Amino acid sequence: MDGLKFVGKRIPKKDAPLKATGEAIYIQDLKLPGMLHGKILYSKYPHARILKLDTSRAAALPGVKAVLTGADVPNNFKFGFMKDNPPLKSGKVLSTRDEIAAVAAISQEVAEEAIDLIDVEYEELPGIFDPLEAMQEGASLIHEELKSNVLKLPWKFVHGDVEASRKDSAFIAEDSFTTQWVTHCCLGTSGCVASFDVGNNLTMYSNTQIPSLAQNDFLEALKAFGLKNRRVRIVQTTIGGGFGSKLDTYAYEYIAILLALKTRRPVKLVFSREEEFLATSPRQPTITKISQGCDKDGKLTFREIEMVLDNGAYTSWGATTPSVMMVPISSLYKVPNVKYTAKCVYTNNTYSQAFRGYGNPQATFAIESCLDQLAEKAGVDPVEIRRINANEPGEVTPQNFRITSCGMKECIDEVVKRLDWKNKCGRGDGRGVGMASLIHVGGAARVYKSDGCGTIIKVDDNGKVDVITGSSEIGQGSDTIIAQIVAEVLGVSIDDINVINNDTDVCPWDVGVHASRTTFVAGNSALGAAQKIKAQIMDIAAKTLSEPVDALDMKDGVIFSRNDKEKNIPLGKVLRKAHYTLGGRMLVAENFYDPPNENFDQTFRGNLSVAYAYGAHGVEVEVDRETGQVKILNYVAAHDVGKAINPMLLEGQIYGGGLQGIGEPGLVPTAPAIANAVYDAVGVRIKDLPITPEKVLRALKEKAGQKT
Amino acid sequence: MGSFEYYKPESIAEAMALMEESGGKGVYIAGGTDVMVLIRQRKLSPGCLISLRNIGDLAYLDTSSGLAIGSGVTHNAIAKNDIIQTKYTALADATSKVGSLQIRNIATMGGNICNAAPSADTACPLLVLDARVVMAGKNGERSVPIDEFFLGPNRVALRPGEIVKGFEMPAFNERTGSAYIKHTRRQAMDLPMLGVAARVTIRIDGDQIGCRDALCGIENISDILKRFEDEKLVCEDVRIAMGVVAPRPMRAKKAEGALKGRVISEVLLQEIGEIAASECQPRDSIRGEAWYRRDMVKVLTKRAILRVVDRIIRPDDTIWPERLW
Ligand SMILES: Cc1cc2nc3c(=O)[nH]c(=O)nc-3n(C[C@H](O)[C@H](O)[C@H](O)COP(=O)(O)OP(=O)(O)OC[C@H]3O[C@@H](n4cnc5c(N)ncnc54)[C@H](O)[C@@H]3O)c2cc1C
Repeated sequence: MDGLKFVGKRIPKKDAPLKATGEAIYIQDLKLPGMLHGKILYSKYPHARILKLDTSRAAALPGVKAVLTGADVPNNFKFGFMKDNPPLKSGKVLSTRDEIAAVAAISQEVAEEAIDLIDVEYEELPGIFDPLEAMQEGASLIHEELKSNVLKLPWKFVHGDVEASRKDSAFIAEDSFTTQWVTHCCLGTSGCVASFDVGNNLTMYSNTQIPSLAQNDFLEALKAFGLKNRRVRIVQTTIGGGFGSKLDTYAYEYIAILLALKTRRPVKLVFSREEEFLATSPRQPTITKISQGCDKDGKLTFREIEMVLDNGAYTSWGATTPSVMMVPISSLYKVPNVKYTAKCVYTNNTYSQAFRGYGNPQATFAIESCLDQLAEKAGVDPVEIRRINANEPGEVTPQNFRITSCGMKECIDEVVKRLDWKNKCGRGDGRGVGMASLIHVGGAARVYKSDGCGTIIKVDDNGKVDVITGSSEIGQGSDTIIAQIVAEVLGVSIDDINVINNDTDVCPWDVGVHASRTTFVAGNSALGAAQKIKAQIMDIAAKTLSEPVDALDMKDGVIFSRNDKEKNIPLGKVLRKAHYTLGGRMLVAENFYDPPNENFDQTFRGNLSVAYAYGAHGVEVEVDRETGQVKILNYVAAHDVGKAINPMLLEGQIYGGGLQGIGEPGLVPTAPAIANAVYDAVGVRIKDLPITPEKVLRALKEKAGQKT
Repeated sequence: MGSFEYYKPESIAEAMALMEESGGKGVYIAGGTDVMVLIRQRKLSPGCLISLRNIGDLAYLDTSSGLAIGSGVTHNAIAKNDIIQTKYTALADATSKVGSLQIRNIATMGGNICNAAPSADTACPLLVLDARVVMAGKNGERSVPIDEFFLGPNRVALRPGEIVKGFEMPAFNERTGSAYIKHTRRQAMDLPMLGVAARVTIRIDGDQIGCRDALCGIENISDILKRFEDEKLVCEDVRIAMGVVAPRPMRAKKAEGALKGRVISEVLLQEIGEIAASECQPRDSIRGEAWYRRDMVKVLTKRAILRVVDRIIRPDDTIWPERLW
């Protein structure tokens, strides 16, 4: 036993009773006095010129307090990663989710009615929906002011000499793979309430997963709207899922701000389910050309990947997913020579964004599918080729990732054992097995200049502990994890810990919920703060008890001397001492934790994360040869997780990951494992996600020389 | 969503009077799982809503002779009924797969049929079970065969103000069974990509022991069908219905004609599937491509018939070898 009381224990999520009873306040539940309801009118066409936009009938409808169009956006303000996205579009629309007008009204019903009263005339223009077409010479430009549909982004990584090693390779597998749009499908739809005070300071109630960065975005917007030197406060309501969809700020938020400014009343804008599908940003589809080579023993010699990403009409942070795709491309298995280029391309589609895995799933689908093809060419078993090339502790990868612990081989072996791989592989009788591995950042990821998170701890007169953290609770259980860590250090009960994590006026800075960083970074930050406050408490207790500090210990909220158990004092009493003594003090500690990881340099090298997560997934499927349906008979996910702070929450992450595509690393290898299993079962390889019954059946028929 | 009056009449007559009062602008609402969606999408803006949920006369389920089900009975109540599970199995198959448990607990079969979507899950079972639709109107009750009730997508043979009271199905003999196969991409909360129902009455001239054993075992389909053929398993009567492959749920009458009175064999079932496929006009849609739907009609017709025969021959068996049908 490690003697730990809370850490490593299956402790249910702190907010579970709130969510189970419906008491949790989601953005949908929020009501402010005088609040108006906003609604957005979207474009009818993916590409069109707006010939006429008449809002007079909407404005005249009783109960409508404001109607806005592109003309009402001050200073040509644009937002987004490339600042290419006006909150309300005028002149031309570039996608069907283009916002062209918005209203604020006294009720949702009136707002909807008003939207119907807006008259728009369009001249439909031909659109481009295929990024390859958009890249062609002479393709019409999505953004006329730019010279090309290809975004100016530097996604290129080169290591070693791919050309030379290609010549020296004994076997080479080469193919193209494509992945599809995938929507986050959060149970809680997107929404916000924007509210200004008399001094034009903004409070945004929001379900964002990046409160500090959103605060900054909105400050910039206020400046552009002519409100300099104002304050922005972000208050997060309970978040009904994010998965990357709330890693950016969006038009609806700026529209709510503009409507609130115009009406001088709080404005609520919450998406309907249809809107959530139509107007949020899904995972970017990719077209990947990949080749990988190995020597005669199956050892990888090189990997070359050219990728095209459908960016859609505007640009979010999702355009930076190629930087995370580099993680598996450079470092999944030992590959001495690597070359990777990626292009993000504007089209008239909806614009894309990050999604759980941040690009890793798309890259891993190509790598792991192609690895099976290579294994077949080389006559090596799919498990063997993975074991031969598996990453190992102590390795430094082409991107300079310093691999510390690495349980990749153990994960592969566990999958083999639990799936009964040896008996199930290669039967080709309609049942088959497949496997895929993963690497992901596991100790944060320095994608911004800082990867830090702050914590403040204060203890009150009754011995209760407030932990004020920068990290957001997004369903992953960060509030519980933080409470466990602090309870462990202080020796108080978990119920005595109150985690405050949703208000930028109170909470210290944090870079956001992403990259599976919260438990590690926010946890370490809380750990440091807890240790600092403990030192302060012990200091006072030592004086009160007249004992040396290092003789003291704390358990169940009582501080006692190990030398003399009679000498003890409850935590609350220490606090009262601190407050009620002349010249007293407060018991507050703060701590900022920024892990010792590195930003990428110009060549995309750098130890991005202080630890890397490895895993392997295996699946047994049955393919119905007459219908093309694929049934999953067994699914094994093996992850090198290090120390699980809360095994229950961890399992939740892995189960959820498996189902969603199947935390973050959990869904990376799902699709290639299934594709590989389908191939093992019936000998057809689906290279284009999703794996639909139609595709499987068509491939089976083609293989048999039949027509569809 | 606008606001409207909501009435809760307690009799059919009261409901029809309210409809008349509304000048035909009212809309009947049962479980509301279609109506509310249309209202929220603003494809429907009723003058008023007339709820049928408090009308006791629509809530019967009578199995004393044949089967009579009130239009207001929910999918879940139908799916859980013992008699329906054993004698009208196609209906249990369909109602147990509609939407999700929450939907099945509130949505009614009357609503499913009156909404008349080509994908309505209960339509194919009712077609093969020779159901008649009983309607109540100003001039009393009338009934039509379900095949004549569907006119086209979302169009049914109800006259203004009429209410569907329920559905009537005849009793079938011991040698009759039915099945419905819902082909979906997901396991739950999905409309069918296509649906196929079959009802078959068999006659066994020879000794059926072999068939029975084959069905209990793990022989492949060809071998089982060979036994059917050897033991002269005759299809005395048959109904086949298909959903989502035409503007309205439809019977595959030519395929029925080709099977009726003949000994079941692999070649014949293949042929029946082909004929059924030639009778439908599937389209490409987001749920499935036309060629695939047509192909699946062939496969699922065969499987549905096999499943029915299996059910007739082994009515009490609890062991169901994992099979494709
Ligand atoms: C999430 C979801 C999933 C679904 N999944 C499925 C599915 O898998 N399969 C499927 O087939 N359907 C599905 N549906 C559609 C719907 O649930 C069914 O069609 C259901 O049976 C409709 O019944 P209801 O009682 O809710 O009808 P309502 O919505 O109340 O009514 C439907 C129509 O019938 C009329 N009507 C109802 N009762 C009568 C009557 N007695 N006399 C005259 N007119 C009447 C109404 O005026 C209306 O036009 C789904 C719907 C939802 C929302």
